[in-house]
Amino acid sequence: MPRPAVLLGLVICGLSAPAWGYDFSIDLRTIGQGYQVRGFAPDGSNELLSRRRLTEYLDLSVSDIGSGAWHGDDGGRNLITFEASLRFDSDFGGYLLGAPSGAAAIPELQQSEFDILYAVLVGRNIAGRLDFQLGRQLHFDLIDLYAFDGADALFHLTPRFAVEAFSGTEVRGAMPLSSPIYELDGTSAGSRDPATRPDQNAELRPLAGVALVAGETGAPFSARLSYRRMWSDTADRQPGEPESGVNQELVALTATAAWRSRVYLSGGVRYNLLFAEFDDEQLALRVRLTPRQWLTLEHDYLAPTFDGDSIWNIFSTGAYRDLRASYEIGLPRGVKAYARAFARFFLSTDDEIATTGPYAGQDVGAAAPGGRTAGGGSLGAAWRRGRGLLRADGYWDDGYGGRKIGVDGTARFQVRPPIELEGRLTGYAWRSDLQPAVTGSGVVFGMQAGGRFQVGKGQHLHLLVEDNVGTYYESQFRGLAMFEVDASI
Amino acid sequence: MKRWTSSVAFGVALAAGVAGGVLAGLASASASPSPATTQAAPVAPVVPAGPSPLIYPGETIPIKFDHAMHARAGATCEGCHSSAQTSTAAVDNLIPGEAACRSCHKIDRTQPAKSVPKGEAPARCDACHADGNTGTLEGSPNPPATGPAGQSPTGSHAINNGWMPTAGLGAEPPRVVLARPSLKFNHQLHATRGIACALCHANAAVQGMITRVDLPMMASCLGCHSGKQSTGRCGACHLTEPDGRLKVKLATAATGAAGGSGLLEPSGSLRGIDAHGPTFRRDHAQAGRDESYCLSCHRRSECTDCHGGVVKPPDIHPADYVTLHVADARRNVPDCSSCHRLQTFCVGCHQRTGVSSDPSGGLPGTRANNPFGTGTQIKQFHPPGWARDTTGAVIATPRPASHSVQAKRNIRTCVSCHREESCLECHSSDPTRGANFSPHGPNFGATARCRFLASRNRRACLKCHALGAAELDCQ
Repeated sequence: MPRPAVLLGLVICGLSAPAWGYDFSIDLRTIGQGYQVRGFAPDGSNELLSRRRLTEYLDLSVSDIGSGAWHGDDGGRNLITFEASLRFDSDFGGYLLGAPSGAAAIPELQQSEFDILYAVLVGRNIAGRLDFQLGRQLHFDLIDLYAFDGADALFHLTPRFAVEAFSGTEVRGAMPLSSPIYELDGTSAGSRDPATRPDQNAELRPLAGVALVAGETGAPFSARLSYRRMWSDTADRQPGEPESGVNQELVALTATAAWRSRVYLSGGVRYNLLFAEFDDEQLALRVRLTPRQWLTLEHDYLAPTFDGDSIWNIFSTGAYRDLRASYEIGLPRGVKAYARAFARFFLSTDDEIATTGPYAGQDVGAAAPGGRTAGGGSLGAAWRRGRGLLRADGYWDDGYGGRKIGVDGTARFQVRPPIELEGRLTGYAWRSDLQPAVTGSGVVFGMQAGGRFQVGKGQHLHLLVEDNVGTYYESQFRGLAMFEVDASI
Repeated sequence: MKRWTSSVAFGVALAAGVAGGVLAGLASASASPSPATTQAAPVAPVVPAGPSPLIYPGETIPIKFDHAMHARAGATCEGCHSSAQTSTAAVDNLIPGEAACRSCHKIDRTQPAKSVPKGEAPARCDACHADGNTGTLEGSPNPPATGPAGQSPTGSHAINNGWMPTAGLGAEPPRVVLARPSLKFNHQLHATRGIACALCHANAAVQGMITRVDLPMMASCLGCHSGKQSTGRCGACHLTEPDGRLKVKLATAATGAAGGSGLLEPSGSLRGIDAHGPTFRRDHAQAGRDESYCLSCHRRSECTDCHGGVVKPPDIHPADYVTLHVADARRNVPDCSSCHRLQTFCVGCHQRTGVSSDPSGGLPGTRANNPFGTGTQIKQFHPPGWARDTTGAVIATPRPASHSVQAKRNIRTCVSCHREESCLECHSSDPTRGANFSPHGPNFGATARCRFLASRNRRACLKCHALGAAELDCQ
């Protein structure tokens, strides 16, 4: 071999870096659904609209990016992953294909078929200090659920205290490859009245926020205090109109505390700076009565608010409080049982005592259909043993909103490793409180049967059929088929 | 009742509590742990009965051994479990072999029934070896009870049948079988940091037989691994996937037989509200407070599968939910907006199915082709007196059946069918539109609500009020 080639080879070998291996995980799900819904034809007659839905999910995860030496002794440092979820969703039935078109089109039905639900580069425990997310990301906590395209960085000042900053633009249905599912509610691009500014929906909405985070996962106390502001420029701005407007501005505080592995407190409160009021409060106390028994007490307060561009905020001046209690017990032989109850109290607004008209001096809110209260409860048990599961639930709700009472039974059994069968029986009665003769009341009995079959390594076929008989249907058949491929490399 | 009055008190109380916690967190975080603090005894927890068979799977221990008696005789942990000092993985077998026993027990394999002088350690096979017919703990959630603290379990413990080589010399006694624990644990790391064996294995010095039920459970670990003295990261102890999430599919034959799901799920000993009980799928809002905690086990797609609002989860929406949802939606239980956007999902479907009959934005019931009946049999979705009285005149004063009460109380129901244009029809201050009914309550202009909204987003005001109107400045 000529000497220069040998030298070149040695140089290349000397310069070469260790090879990096990535772990890939691909989860592909194809879901087909076929069913019918009853609708009203333009002439007022009944019609059945067919739904032939096809939904395709492609979830991709690339992990272990970088050298293995980065991850430290316990493998928990400098973890970098890329995660994405893409969705195709469409309907080939008359529901969508037969929908009005042209001037009568329903814009809310013309949503993007291809959505990127999230696509984010995630870094965890970088240099023992930093967690970051870069890309389209979805965030949630006790009183929040939002998605944005941008960056989020959480810097751990100490093991128990961190600061977070994030910035980007809200994911909106008006953007390409974007779902409207997590955008602020209250406005519609389908509005035909120019005064409602339907074009405003297409404007980009930058957002930015900061948070202080205390407590690590195992800590007896943890809290997060956050601030977020989202705004947008005024579309088609006319002289005298503001250049921009705030769509959301919040300060939120959530916290958990634990005492001796027995008593747990969690909750949150949110102050809405658009309206100068607390619009969401939640508090839960959970007590382990014995090693197998839990008691949970919850209090919620909610005053619905919407996108700052929406006039619904002006009308929505009411709020409600919920009190909930639940009890869970683990019984021998794999049986778990529970009981839940709730009560809801709609709070009176300032002007529910009529000052004029035929009801002057009277509390019209208390006399309104449905009254000011609602309540209900449920009871159930699940038995899981080896390859099988049996579950039964019963529920009853009444008061504002109407009445519903029902039972539900589920069974699942693995016949042998590749085959799992399932069935479900449902029966319920309901009655609207508004005007039952028009808005409805009825009885429904439903049956589901299906199975999950492993057709290959990481490949599952899930088939389910459902038939319902009730006041409004002699037979309502529904079919679902899902094929799932989960591959890891 | 003004809806913010009690909220302020609630918020202040929670804020004070959390602020105190934040300060406490800061204070504790600023102090680096000293060797003395790392020895702090874990808080005595209330824990579920027995460890999870997913973490500590079944075992077979055909041995008779009294830890307490050996401790009283002067044996040390390191003296027998010498390999613990250098072990770096939980799967390492740290059970001492015969060689370790020989330092005290003068074993002679050619003399299975060897006698020793009184006061010396016994050397018979059946002094230590059990016959294997009892004492098999294959992942049972109810393993044999151990003896009371400080007493030898001999005579009361299930493992009490001695083994002798009845098949002849050379026969092997039943062997100890320990399944691999689904954990990471580095004994060496803990030992070099001066953490005494008894801190985690407190029972060893006072109890006879030690089995899997005596192994330290998570609550004990959290005494130090709370993020203060040591990391509280789940993956520091639990097995992880390459992407850092915990490995949760740990099914074994034993766990299946014991009624387990084969999935590692929170028992509630960490946060209480995170216990995956029978109602968890419906009631996990409180547990979802900390997304990083959820994402330590779950993929994001598990959130979007349900909260994406495409495929109906049968346990949330029972059969023919399209019919039933009328009652649920009006009450908003469960919360529709956690999976559906009202002004797209609900409006689109209601309009397509003809429930929302008024695409032009006019008052309900004015359309000739009202879907709830035809001709003279028109039935209105809304009850009589909703917006007009029996003469057809628009109702201008509050009445029990009027829509104003319902809209103030629960406008999300309205939003599921109507767009803003429906309200502008009557509530706009534009004189060309007609009614000009103000939706604002008494003295709205003097409220902080008016000032804050006007200062942050005047566009909403301009949907009803003209540029330059005094109302825009809350006058």
